[in-house]
Amino acid sequence: MSEVEGRFVVASELGLHARPAGEFVRIASGVDGDVEISRGGEWMNGKSVLSILSLAASQGTEVHIRVSGPDAEAVLTALAALVERPHDPA
Amino acid sequence: MKISDILVRDALVLDLGAKGKPAVLAELAGALAAAEPSIEEGALLEVLAEREVLQSTGIGDGVAIPHGKMPGLDHLVASFARSKDGVDFESIDGQPTHLFFVLVVPEHAGGQHLKALARISRFFRDADFRKSLESAETAEDVLRVIQDEDAKF
Repeated sequence: MSEVEGRFVVASELGLHARPAGEFVRIASGVDGDVEISRGGEWMNGKSVLSILSLAASQGTEVHIRVSGPDAEAVLTALAALVERPHDPA
Repeated sequence: MKISDILVRDALVLDLGAKGKPAVLAELAGALAAAEPSIEEGALLEVLAEREVLQSTGIGDGVAIPHGKMPGLDHLVASFARSKDGVDFESIDGQPTHLFFVLVVPEHAGGQHLKALARISRFFRDADFRKSLESAETAEDVLRVIQDEDAKF
């Protein structure tokens, strides 16, 4: 078991809206350990779309992501890529 | 932004008759269009259905937030509906959906859209709020639950 953490800036013009939040949860839900996300305050459950949306993470917002469990590193990389993706796929 | 301010009260549905996902979307679009003159039913249904194809708005915990952008609209519009039996809305957690919050936004309302989604999500994240909505007996009770939550922050 390992825990990794990182800070990433939301790149998309639309922010972390429902669709990317859904993709985030799909990745996070496959993790055996915990996935958490915050804007620097309270840690939220990264496996809940409601939690992620309630952050109101608009473009330029720095989010903190914390992942524990096997493959934590790879999961964090995938989640970071999602947050830092400049455009939503059509 | 208060949710009560964008909620179209007359569009509220206490118990959806529709059972399948396409029928539920049609019922939601019909109820909102019937109560809100700025929205045309067919156009709304198309917008909502197109969005569902990209990814279900069934976001888990029995909640769905069907939403989309509507060209020509000049303000945010929302409605609430409930299904007592629950609907298979292809939700992310595979569970039936009971609570539907529809959000329709103008075409260029990126920031407002995200803020409204965030506020709605903060409400629905609270299990007590969801329970209160599920057990509300009348439309007035539903509105009161939403107004009470609006008053908290």
